[in-house]
Amino acid sequence: MDVVDQLGAMREGKMSRRAFTRSLLASGVAIASVPVGARRAMAAAEDQGTYFTWGGYDIPELFQPYNEANGELPNFAVFGGSEEALTKMRGGFVVDVSHPCNSALPRWVKTGLFQSIDTSRLSNWPDVMPELVDLPGNMAEGNDIWMAPFDWGQTSITYRTDLIDLEGEEESWDILWDPKYKGKLGSLGAGADAWWIGAIKAGVPFDQLDTPEAFEKIAAVMREQRPLIRTYTDDNTTLEQALSSGEMVASMTWNSSAVQLQAEGVPVKFAKPKEGALTWVCGLMVHKDAPKLDKAYEIIDSLISVESGKFLIGDYGYGHSNKKAFDEFDEETLTGLGLSKNPIEILQAGHFQIPQTQEWETKMNEMFEQIKAGF
Amino acid sequence: MTETSVSSTRKQRARNKGGLSGLLHRSENLRGYLLMSPTLLVMSIGILAPFLILVTMSLWTRDGFSFDTALTMANYERAWTEPIFGALLKRSFWISGIATVVTVALCYPMAYYVAFHVHRNKMMWIILMTLPFWTSYLLRVFAWKVILGYEGVINSGLMVVGLIEEPLEFLLYSREAVIITLAHAWAAFAILPLYVSLEKIDKSLLEAATDLGDGPVARFLRVTLPLSLPGIIAAAFLIFIPTTGDYITPALLGGPDGAMIGNFIQLQFGPVNNWPMGATLSIVLMLWVSAIALVFLFITRLAKDKIA
Repeated sequence: MDVVDQLGAMREGKMSRRAFTRSLLASGVAIASVPVGARRAMAAAEDQGTYFTWGGYDIPELFQPYNEANGELPNFAVFGGSEEALTKMRGGFVVDVSHPCNSALPRWVKTGLFQSIDTSRLSNWPDVMPELVDLPGNMAEGNDIWMAPFDWGQTSITYRTDLIDLEGEEESWDILWDPKYKGKLGSLGAGADAWWIGAIKAGVPFDQLDTPEAFEKIAAVMREQRPLIRTYTDDNTTLEQALSSGEMVASMTWNSSAVQLQAEGVPVKFAKPKEGALTWVCGLMVHKDAPKLDKAYEIIDSLISVESGKFLIGDYGYGHSNKKAFDEFDEETLTGLGLSKNPIEILQAGHFQIPQTQEWETKMNEMFEQIKAGF
Repeated sequence: MTETSVSSTRKQRARNKGGLSGLLHRSENLRGYLLMSPTLLVMSIGILAPFLILVTMSLWTRDGFSFDTALTMANYERAWTEPIFGALLKRSFWISGIATVVTVALCYPMAYYVAFHVHRNKMMWIILMTLPFWTSYLLRVFAWKVILGYEGVINSGLMVVGLIEEPLEFLLYSREAVIITLAHAWAAFAILPLYVSLEKIDKSLLEAATDLGDGPVARFLRVTLPLSLPGIIAAAFLIFIPTTGDYITPALLGGPDGAMIGNFIQLQFGPVNNWPMGATLSIVLMLWVSAIALVFLFITRLAKDKIA
């Protein structure tokens, strides 16, 4: 009997007022308890760990072992820049695993928001390249390992080979500073990449970034570039679409944009700038209050597995921390992706970020934001 | 029986009763506060407390990963002296001011039509006008990104017709894009107050104006427009205030020249990692918006007096 029938029944005197109220109460309880039941039916997601990561890493392909073990994917939370992620966690956002990069590592450790990793709980740990573990800040206190390395790669230029004519010259960061392409150039929006590229362009060595002169030199270079830039964004999709439509002829990107555009048949190349590209290693850290610690280790183990590595190398063109993952590819494919079986070669060929202080990070971010806004 | 004697006997009776109900009877004030208390509680927790936290934080400074809680006006000094903040504020007011004018100008005819020329199913018309607002704000912004984009609906349409050969680039990543999107995204907030004020206008006044020899234009300017002024003001406020602080639209559609103060506040709380500065900028924005609103109110009060 629905409410309208009940109203009719009451009006005709078939149903007492009290009975009517009781049945209303019953339906109210039923409605109120629906969400509880429904939530229980979908309870699985609450049992999974939470992985706080960059957009593009929240995909099933990286979680085959995890999915097989749990019948579910982990929960994902996505950030656009690692500094933003840290701020969110400092504000009380608790996750199980997060995904920073080497230059942020010592600062992340210093916040006290993370716990060191018990590598004996990771079945794939023996296959992880030791060179990627031994990063500044990773063994800050004794032998504790704070970050399990996962992916590594380069920040360089993806450019349209049909729209940019190098006229026989070597590939160079100058492409992104060429007034010829005004309004048709793109850039990553976070200082964590852009400012360092500015340093390479300005010729400031990475071990001298912390001086006022360095700030001035790099700021001048970034100001020079700004009017040429169509948009600054950390959204890879925006950059990839703009490159494929010809809205942009070149943009600062990570490896994956070039690899994905090539797979779609767009004539692009991931440059090897003569001044050197920016190289980085990113990895996984466990929150000190991780509510699902077991799942946290399962997430990490899944990400550093050969299956994940195969996807990351083949589809995104990134390096992976599991050395066995490289055995799935022949030398030629790897070279085509700009990778090598000996990752140290690649890492040493480029400029490797050196961790900076929190003061520096704040000052750099603020200055870069002001420059982007036109100051 | 006089009123005083009524209350005095009531008081006596209450005193005899004693206990909580007695107390309630004795104190009119207490009863008043009790009646108000749920609202008071919600207001204190939901508005007053966050505001006080914001004000306090704006007087702190950032100290590495934590805060230096010594109270200082340093952030306000920075906000006042560094040119970027003033320029961004000005830009925000400019963008949202134009967006407000555009929105009200576009919504007025729609509200007018429904109020004066629709006679059946008015509610359905209103619902139809608010239909786009049943989806998320973010989706509407993204939709405009698709419409204004390099290979978007407008550019490809114009190219098919043959009016342009190369896509127009200024459509996206510009201040114009922000204004267009804001004007659409907030339109529902203008239509409803405009419609209400137009609907309330006494039609006999219009008849009287006609009888006295006013044509349609004079009738509109002398009767309809002044009488719908409260709706226009309400609509302008409802659009201007939230759009000055908007950051999603400029972030997605503004490009390097379209950044507004909201983006900078968000940056302070995010990557720049300076929450006290973010709090300061929020308060400065709030003060400016209040000041502008007050001036605006004052002017309309003057205008109203003149009309009356």
